[in-house]
Amino acid sequence: MKTLLRAVCSAATVLAVLAVTALPASAAYVPITGSGSTWSQNAIEQWTSNVEQYGMRINYSGGGSTFGRNQFASGLTDFGVSEIPYGKDDGAASEARPKFPFAYMPIVAGGTAFMYNLEIGGRKVTNLRLSGDTVAKIFTNVITNWSDPAIKADNPGLTLPARKIVPVVRSDGSGTTAQLTTWMSSQHASVWNAYCAKAGRSNPCGVTSIYPLLQGSAMTAQSGSQNVAGYVAQPSSVGAITYVEYSYARNLKFPVAKIRNAKDFYVEPTYQSVAVALMAAKINTDKSSPDYLTQDLQPVYTYNDARTYPLSSYSYMLIPVDEENARFKKSKGKTLGDFSYYFLCEGQQQADDLGYSPLPINLVKAGLDQVKRIPGVDSQAVDITKCNNPTFSSDGTNTLAKKAPYPPACDKAGSTQCGTGTGGAPQDTPTTGGGGNTGGGGSNNGGGSTGGGGSTGGGGTTGGTPATGATSGSPTGGTGTGTGTGTPAGGAAPVVDPDTGQVISGGGTGAGGGSGQLVGDNSALAVPVTVGVQLDPTLKTVLIGLACALLVGLTVGPPLIARRFSGGDRFGNGDRR
Amino acid sequence: MTTVIIEQRRRLRPSGGPDRVYRVVLRLAGAGVLLLMTLVGAFLFDKAADALGIAGWSFLTTEKWEPDSGNFGIAAVLTGTVLIAGVAIGIAVPLAIGMALYVSEYAPRGLRPALIGLVDLMAAVPSVVYGLWGFAFLQGHVIGLARWLATYLSWIPFFKVTGSDPRDPLATETVYTSSTFIAGMVVAMMIAPVICSIMREAFSQAPIGEREGAFALGATRWGMIRSVVLPFGRGGMIGGTMLGLGRALGETIAVYLIISPVFSIQPHILQNGANSVSALIALRYGEAGPVALSALMAAGVALFLMTLVVNFGAGIIVARSRSGAESEA
Repeated sequence: MKTLLRAVCSAATVLAVLAVTALPASAAYVPITGSGSTWSQNAIEQWTSNVEQYGMRINYSGGGSTFGRNQFASGLTDFGVSEIPYGKDDGAASEARPKFPFAYMPIVAGGTAFMYNLEIGGRKVTNLRLSGDTVAKIFTNVITNWSDPAIKADNPGLTLPARKIVPVVRSDGSGTTAQLTTWMSSQHASVWNAYCAKAGRSNPCGVTSIYPLLQGSAMTAQSGSQNVAGYVAQPSSVGAITYVEYSYARNLKFPVAKIRNAKDFYVEPTYQSVAVALMAAKINTDKSSPDYLTQDLQPVYTYNDARTYPLSSYSYMLIPVDEENARFKKSKGKTLGDFSYYFLCEGQQQADDLGYSPLPINLVKAGLDQVKRIPGVDSQAVDITKCNNPTFSSDGTNTLAKKAPYPPACDKAGSTQCGTGTGGAPQDTPTTGGGGNTGGGGSNNGGGSTGGGGSTGGGGTTGGTPATGATSGSPTGGTGTGTGTGTPAGGAAPVVDPDTGQVISGGGTGAGGGSGQLVGDNSALAVPVTVGVQLDPTLKTVLIGLACALLVGLTVGPPLIARRFSGGDRFGNGDRR
Repeated sequence: MTTVIIEQRRRLRPSGGPDRVYRVVLRLAGAGVLLLMTLVGAFLFDKAADALGIAGWSFLTTEKWEPDSGNFGIAAVLTGTVLIAGVAIGIAVPLAIGMALYVSEYAPRGLRPALIGLVDLMAAVPSVVYGLWGFAFLQGHVIGLARWLATYLSWIPFFKVTGSDPRDPLATETVYTSSTFIAGMVVAMMIAPVICSIMREAFSQAPIGEREGAFALGATRWGMIRSVVLPFGRGGMIGGTMLGLGRALGETIAVYLIISPVFSIQPHILQNGANSVSALIALRYGEAGPVALSALMAAGVALFLMTLVVNFGAGIIVARSRSGAESEA
């Protein structure tokens, strides 16, 4: 108790000292508080720490978009941050709205990425590709295994393990969930509605901020972007996949899935692909509308540009405008205004480094107009050409989107995928040939597992002929279509992963005939084999029991024997009273 | 003889102003505590009335939590709370008894103050720290134990884990994470020092004469502990356990950080997915609309009543057993 008291006392002293030292700096700026989206939290926190040097103190805490909207509406914060406007999800009926005038101001763009933790033969996969349909089915428990044919079809270059998929969703009211469910309800409505019905939600389900969870499924829920990403990043979470903003995957050095767009290219949510995608976003430009500047993302999902990342979106700040309200007084206007000027102009340069995408010129302009409406703002005339925003150009087009590179041919659906890494995991994942590396099953002792040599032909090669061998296991190559048969010489012995018993590399090196180009032996090719001998469960139980008995005997035995030999039962042993 | 004593007592009783003032102040303080409790209860009931009106008696039997559609109840969260607290008590009590006995009976005299300080320090660590530690460190290391329990003890219904296949080397380990068991373990770490402190106090007050007596009769140290210390400290042991249970029922942030909330009764303690009333409130209060807030208040009432019952029960048991133990000893 004393320790506790002392701790409280010392904490109070520290706080008092802090308050005293902070006073002169914050004389010009009144501290403001905001909460909400964890999707854009990484960017906001960077910005708030950047402006601290000017004496601005902005306290931002996450908590989720729903939390942010609610706190802002009840006047507990000076500003809120949310991905969706008020009244867009299924909780809209009971959602409290601010009773004072407020406006939406776009702050940053980004992609809702699918961060995953997957290994093939002990090696992290960094180049997974998924089509929209597969993603929707993964997050609705339709596809539950990584070896599912649908995933296989997206990833012809990977031999995916028969691991369970663990979708990790948000347990709190989240704008990221709202973005995902907006996309699912518009693009994959039947899958989404079927899941919703199973989870006991009203049907059709539509957009929700709180993800419905089925008991008994592999799905697990965590609160906040930091926690879902942290959960996926744990070494024990192999097989997990979640939806978070791209920056979280980058910070944790994890890959994100490339998502297939309308042009049948698999694209990563880089700042460029997000910028391209959002050129299609429909922004509400009706200034009299209460939803002025909010986004309609339907056209983004189906935007016909090969560089598009379909799950791109903007994040919004909720700001009080026109007049003071019970909480937001004019004295705070200067802090919020200057902070907004900072991140709308200079702050956008950092968007790429942070894992976001900068706002295009029209939204920056509209945002700057909104800033002028903040009560008590110290209005500035910002020369946006000096902001160094990579999207700006003299002729009004989006430079960033114009210059964005087209995805390489290996990102096209049907072709063998690129080996390059994604997100925060730039290391390559070697891929195997075109479609056909189906190997035969190995024998029980694990010695003669077979590796099928795959070959990259025109995409539709037939599978390798499985060769059974004792240890050398020399695989024969596949038959290249069209241009003759390639019979490569057997390479090194197949390497078997000690953990899973899967073949890591099939060893199919050698030059193939025809145009078929064969891949080296470092390929992440895995052929499912039955795992080596497992102990009979009853025998195992007996052995465990024996071990326990032995342990107990060794601890308790010696004193008992000693007592017997020393003769007589002393008091305390029996303690008979 | 007796009359003299009565006279003495009368004379000794301090009379007059200061004493009366002191007594009034004490009474006021006591009444203040009671009043505060009543006010908290009344406030909760008042705020919860809306939600209880909507849900009616089904509030006690519904597992789902969707206040906006009027479909909500505490069957799942209350069960989850009890399960987490049960696991915590199951782990913490044996640990605390061992700790307390070692500190009060076995530890060398010089080491004792240091150990007491350490245990008190454990109690002073904020719960969010325990939560983060549980989420980031303990969870990953406990999976092995959870898997072992699930593999060999799954015939006990509590230890069943659906979706686990011990024979599948690629089986995901996430089914063992975010569970009642792990949350309970972390809560156990938090309540063990509290229980331990109370038990240690009780043990150290075992009368020295009887200890010496037991030794004189030839008892070993364990014999002395069994015949003197434990019976004497029984009241403290039960009291400490109950106090720990009260804390475990209300533990919020550590549980919130670890569990993956499910809104259905989940008796499988090793399985991913758990819930508790306080974690539910922490998770949803910020984003709750008026009805949802009222529903959360109603859940709070349930927790409040349960904790009251536990604490009153503890009080009664302690009062009874203490008198018995003392007279017996």
